[in-house]
Amino acid sequence: MNMLRNITADNPHSLIKPVFYTIISNLVGLIPFVLLVEAAKLIFNPFVHPDTPLDTARLWWVCGGLAVSLVLLFVSEIPAYRSQYRDAYSAAADGRSRLAEHLRKLSLGYLNKRDPGDLANMMVGDFAVIEHSISHLVPQMIGAAIMPVLALIGLSFLDWRLALSLFAALPVAILLVLLTSGIQRKLGSQHIRAKIDASNRLQEYLNGIQVIKAYNLTGERFVRLEQSFRELMRQSIRFEGILGPIVLSAIVCVRAGLTLMVMVGVHLLLDESLDIITFVAFLIIGTRIFDPLTTALAGYAEFRYSEQAGERIVQLLREPVMQGERHPPEGYDVELKQVTFGYLDQPVLRDVNVSMPAGSFTALVGPSGSGKSTILRLIARFYDPEKGMVTMSGEDIRAMNPESLLQKVSMVFQDVYLIQDTIAGNIRFGRSDATREEIEEAARLACCHDFIMKLPNGFDTMVGEGGSTLSGGEKQRISIARAILKNAPIILLDEATASLDPENEVEIQKAIDRLVRGRTVIVVAHRLKTVQHADQIVVLDRGRVVEQGRHKELLSLNGLYALLWRRQHDEGK
Amino acid sequence: MTNKTGVSRLLEIAGEKRGLMLVSGLLSSLSAVCMLVPYVSVFFILKELLEHAASPVLTDGAKMIRWGVIALIGLVSGLVMMYAGGMVSHIAAFRILYGLRIKLSSHIGKLPLGWLNSNSTGAVKKTLEHNVEKVEMFIAHHLPDLVHAAVTTILTIVVMFTLNVWLAIACIVPIVLGFAFQIALISGPKTKENLKQCHDSLERMNASAVQYVRGMPVVKVFGQTVQSFRQFYHDMIRYRDNGVKLSDQFQNGSLIFNVILGSIAAFVLPVGVFFLSRDPGSIAFATILLFFLVMAPSISTPMFKIMFLAETLRDIKEGVQRIDRILAQEYIPEPEHSRRPTSFDVSFAHVSFSYGTDPTDTNVLTDISFTARQGEVTALVGPSGAGKSTVANLVPRFWNVNTGAIRIGDVDIRKMATSDLMNTVAFVFQESFLFSDTVYNNIAVGLPEATSEEVYAAAKAAQCHSFIEKLPLGYDTLIGEGGVYLSGGEEQRISVARAILKNAPILVLDEATAFADPENEYEMQLALKVLMKNKTVIVIAHRLSTIRDAQQILVMESGRIVEQGRHESLISANGLYSRMWRSYRHAAQWHMGKQEVNAEHEHATQHYGG
Repeated sequence: MNMLRNITADNPHSLIKPVFYTIISNLVGLIPFVLLVEAAKLIFNPFVHPDTPLDTARLWWVCGGLAVSLVLLFVSEIPAYRSQYRDAYSAAADGRSRLAEHLRKLSLGYLNKRDPGDLANMMVGDFAVIEHSISHLVPQMIGAAIMPVLALIGLSFLDWRLALSLFAALPVAILLVLLTSGIQRKLGSQHIRAKIDASNRLQEYLNGIQVIKAYNLTGERFVRLEQSFRELMRQSIRFEGILGPIVLSAIVCVRAGLTLMVMVGVHLLLDESLDIITFVAFLIIGTRIFDPLTTALAGYAEFRYSEQAGERIVQLLREPVMQGERHPPEGYDVELKQVTFGYLDQPVLRDVNVSMPAGSFTALVGPSGSGKSTILRLIARFYDPEKGMVTMSGEDIRAMNPESLLQKVSMVFQDVYLIQDTIAGNIRFGRSDATREEIEEAARLACCHDFIMKLPNGFDTMVGEGGSTLSGGEKQRISIARAILKNAPIILLDEATASLDPENEVEIQKAIDRLVRGRTVIVVAHRLKTVQHADQIVVLDRGRVVEQGRHKELLSLNGLYALLWRRQHDEGK
Repeated sequence: MTNKTGVSRLLEIAGEKRGLMLVSGLLSSLSAVCMLVPYVSVFFILKELLEHAASPVLTDGAKMIRWGVIALIGLVSGLVMMYAGGMVSHIAAFRILYGLRIKLSSHIGKLPLGWLNSNSTGAVKKTLEHNVEKVEMFIAHHLPDLVHAAVTTILTIVVMFTLNVWLAIACIVPIVLGFAFQIALISGPKTKENLKQCHDSLERMNASAVQYVRGMPVVKVFGQTVQSFRQFYHDMIRYRDNGVKLSDQFQNGSLIFNVILGSIAAFVLPVGVFFLSRDPGSIAFATILLFFLVMAPSISTPMFKIMFLAETLRDIKEGVQRIDRILAQEYIPEPEHSRRPTSFDVSFAHVSFSYGTDPTDTNVLTDISFTARQGEVTALVGPSGAGKSTVANLVPRFWNVNTGAIRIGDVDIRKMATSDLMNTVAFVFQESFLFSDTVYNNIAVGLPEATSEEVYAAAKAAQCHSFIEKLPLGYDTLIGEGGVYLSGGEEQRISVARAILKNAPILVLDEATAFADPENEYEMQLALKVLMKNKTVIVIAHRLSTIRDAQQILVMESGRIVEQGRHESLISANGLYSRMWRSYRHAAQWHMGKQEVNAEHEHATQHYGG
C-alpha cells in the first residue's frame, strides 16, 4: 500500500480508473483466445473421433466470432486508452498544481535550503515518471497479477490438475522477487546516490570552472568529477548485472509452468484420465498465458525506480506548511520574547529578548556567525522559533497568515532575484496595481532611473534569465525601488548590500536613506560607523544578546562593541 | 568533426566499442532463436498428438516430455543469452557514457570562459546528464532489442513461408495493414504540428516551473504567489491540453494497430478454415494450421517494439545534436612548443578585445598598453563597466585578445601551454569558490603535492588557521552540504590561502575584499600583504583606500586607460581619479539615521556626477 502511495505521489485513487479499464480490456482480450482454443478443438475433433466430420459451419462461426471480437476489443480499449493517456495528462496536471500550491505555502527557510533546480525537476520530471506509472506501469502490473488468478480459476473448470501444474512455479517466482527486495532496494539507492553525487560534482565543475581552470584541474584532471563518473558507471553496471538474474530467474520460474504442464499432461494422457482435446487447449493456452506476467516482471525494475521518484514527491508534500490565518494588526511594534532557534542541531539564537518599537531604528551588530541575520529571518517568518515567540503589536506572528505578514515587511538583502520580465514588470512586483508613473517615481527615488534610461528599451528592457545583465548594485537598486513601491511599514535591511557595487555606493546609500525614512527599521550592520545613530544597537555574540543600548552608552561599557568599534576604526588609518 | 546526425552519428560514437556491440548483437540473435524454441516444441507436441489423436494411448509420451524439456532449455538458454547480451551492451553503453561525459567535461574545460557564461549551466548539465543517458538507452536496450526483434521476425516469416505460402500471407497482411495505418497517421501534416506544439508547451512548462520555484522567495515576499502560481498553472494546463489533443488524435490509429497486431490469428483462421474445408482429412495441413495459430502471437511482440522505435529515434536525434553542439565549440589551441618565461613583468601592448566574435561588436578594451613590473603592485580602478575585470581575465588567457599582445617577461602568452601559464599566474577571484570537500583539500588545490606543514603555513599566513581550528573537525571539516557553511570573509581567506600555497610569480586579485564581511576585513588585509610580497601584482580595486600605496594606478573608463600614475600625482591631476576619490571619501562617511537628513550627502553625489 505504501508502495502504491509512493508511486502515485500520495494519490492512490488515481489508479482506480486505469486499473479498472485495463482489467476490462484484458478480460475482453480473452474472448479471441477462447475462440482460438475452440477452433483448435474443432480442427482436432475429426482426428480424435474419425467418424465425425470436420464441423466447417462451426469453424466459420468461430471466424465470425473472431471478427466481432476485434470490434469488441477495439471498443473496450477505447476507455483504457483514454484513461492511460488522456487521464494521465490530467492526473499529472492535478498533481503538479497540488505540488505547486504546496510549495508556495512552505516556509521561505525551507525553500532557500532546497536547490531550485531540484524542485523544478520534481514538478516536471518526476511527475512525468509518475504520469507514466499511473497510466501504464501500475495498471499493467496489477492486470498481470490478476490475470493469472482469473486464468487459474477459469482453467480449473477445464482441468484442475493441468491448471495447477501450469502455475505451480509461480509462487517460487513471487518469493524470489520478494526475498530479494532488500538487495534491490540497496542497489537502487546506491545507484541513485552515485547518480546524485555525479550530478553534484558536475554542478561544482561548471560553477567553479574559473577556479578549476586557474588551478589546472580541467577535464580528467579534476579527479573528483572523474571518480564520480567512474563510480556511476560501476554502480550502473552492478545494478543491471545483479538485478538482471533476479528478474530473469523469476521469468524462468513463471514460464517453466509450460514444461511442468506438458509432463503432467502426458502422464495423464497415457493414463487415459485426460481428454486429448483438453490437453491441446492447455498447450495453446500455455504458450501465451504468461505473456502479461513476463511483461510485468520486465517492468519491475522500472516500477521500483518510479516508486523512488514518487517517494521524493510524497516527502515534499509531507513537509509542513506555514500555519496561521489571521491578518497582522495595525501596530508595528516588533518584539522577540525569549527566542531560541537553531538550524538542524546547531543552536543559533539562545533566549534572545529584543523590543523594537514602531518607527524606531534598531541595529544588530556582532562578529560573523553571531545570529544577526537569523533575527531578520525570524521576523519575516522564514522560520518559526523553537522556543519563545516573535510578536507584532503583542500578537504572536505564528497566528498570522505568512503572506499577509510579509505584506507589512520589506526586505533588502544581498541576493536579489529578478524575474524574467521587463524592468517595469520587476519593479511592479512591489505593488501589482501600481501605475507607470508610480513605477518611474519609485525608480527615481531608488536612484535607478538614470541607468534604466540608458538600457536599450528603457523600462521595457527584459531582465532576468536570458535578459540584459545588470551589475550587483543595479539589481540592488531595483530591489529597493520595489520596496519603495511596496511601502511596507517595517524594513529589514542588510547593510552589506550598500557596498555591493563600490563604484555606485553613494547611489545605493541615497536609495536606502529614502527607503527607511519614517519606518520601523531593523538593520544587520557590519560597518559600525553606518549605524552609530541608531535608536538602539543590539550586540550579539554566539547567539546571545550581550550588550544593548545607544552608541555612546555601548562605548562607555568598554565591552565587545567598544572592541569591534576600535578595531574597525583603527583599520581605516 | 563529422556532419552525421541521429543514429548514424550515434553509431559512430558507439563505434569506439564496436567489438562489444558485435558480441551483444550476436548474443541477442542467438537468444531470439532460442526464445522461439518453446513455440516450436509445442508445435511438435501438437503434431504428435494429432497423429495419434484417435488413440491417445499410442502417443509417444517420452518424446512429448522431451519436447517439453527442450522448451524449457530453449527458454533458459534464450534468457541466459539475452542476459549476457544485455550485460555486454550495458557495459559498452556505460563505458561510452563515461567516455562521453569525460570528453564533454574536459572539452568544456578548454573552452573560453565566456562560453559557459552565455550558456546557462542548467542546459549544459542537462546535456551531460539526460541527453547522454538517451545514448545509454539506445545502446544498452534498444539496439539489442532491435536485433532480437529483427531476427525473430525474419526467422518466423521464413519458416512460415516454407510451411504454407497462403497462411504466411494471411499473417503478413495484418502486419502491413497495421503499420500502414500507423504511418499514415504519424506522417500526417497535423501530427507534425501537434507534436511540435506538445514539445513547445512542454518546454514552456519546464521554463516556468524553474521560474516559479526560483522566484518563489521573492514572489512570497511581495505576496504574489497566487499570480505566479497562475502563470505556472496556465503553462501546465496548456501542456496538458496539447497532450490530450495529441493522444486523442492518435487514439484510433494506435488502437487499430494494437488490435490488429494482437489478433493476427483472426486473419489466419479464416484462410485456414477455407483450405481445411476443401481437404478435411489432411493431418499435414491441420498441423500446419495449428502451428500458425500458435506462432502468430510470437510475431506481434517484436512489432510493438519496432513501433516504439520512432519515438526513441526522435529523442536520440535531439540528444546527439546537443552533445555535438558542445563538442563543435572550438577551443583555444595549444602551442606546439610551450615557452616558459624567465622574468615575470606582465605587459599589454596595444590590446583590443571584444567578447563577441563578430567584427562589428563593440570593443570592451581599446588599445590598452601598460607594464606591471615584478615586485610592484599595479592597480586597476574605474567605474563599473570600464573593463577592469576584462583586463584581469585576459592575463590567464581565459579569452584571446583580438589585436595586440600580452607578454609575460618576453614570452607572448599565446606561446605558452595552458598548464604552464596557469602555473605562472595565481588568481583570487571576486567570488570565492570552494569545493564541497574538506577545508584541507580546498587549500591543497593550490599545490597538490604540498606537505601538510606547507598547507598549515599557508592557512596561517592567510589568517584562517584560527577559525579552521574552531571548526568541528578542524581541517577535515567538510564544506557545504553535510558540513559547515563559512561566511563570505572566511571563504575568501581560504581562497587566499590557496593562492599563497600556489606561490606563483604573478598574482591577479579581482576585488578580493569587496565581498568580505567588514568584521574580517582587517585579517583579509594582513593576509593579502603576505601574498603580495615580491610578486607581480595586478589588483582590481573598488575601495580606493586599499591601493593608495600602489606603485602604479591605471584609471580606466569605457575600455581605455585615461589616467596613469601614483595616488598623489593622480589626486593633483584633478581628473576622474580625484573625483572618484572624493566620492569614495563621502561614501565612507555614510551613516543611516533619521535624526539628521543628509543634505551634505546629497550634495556629494551631485558633485561626483558633475
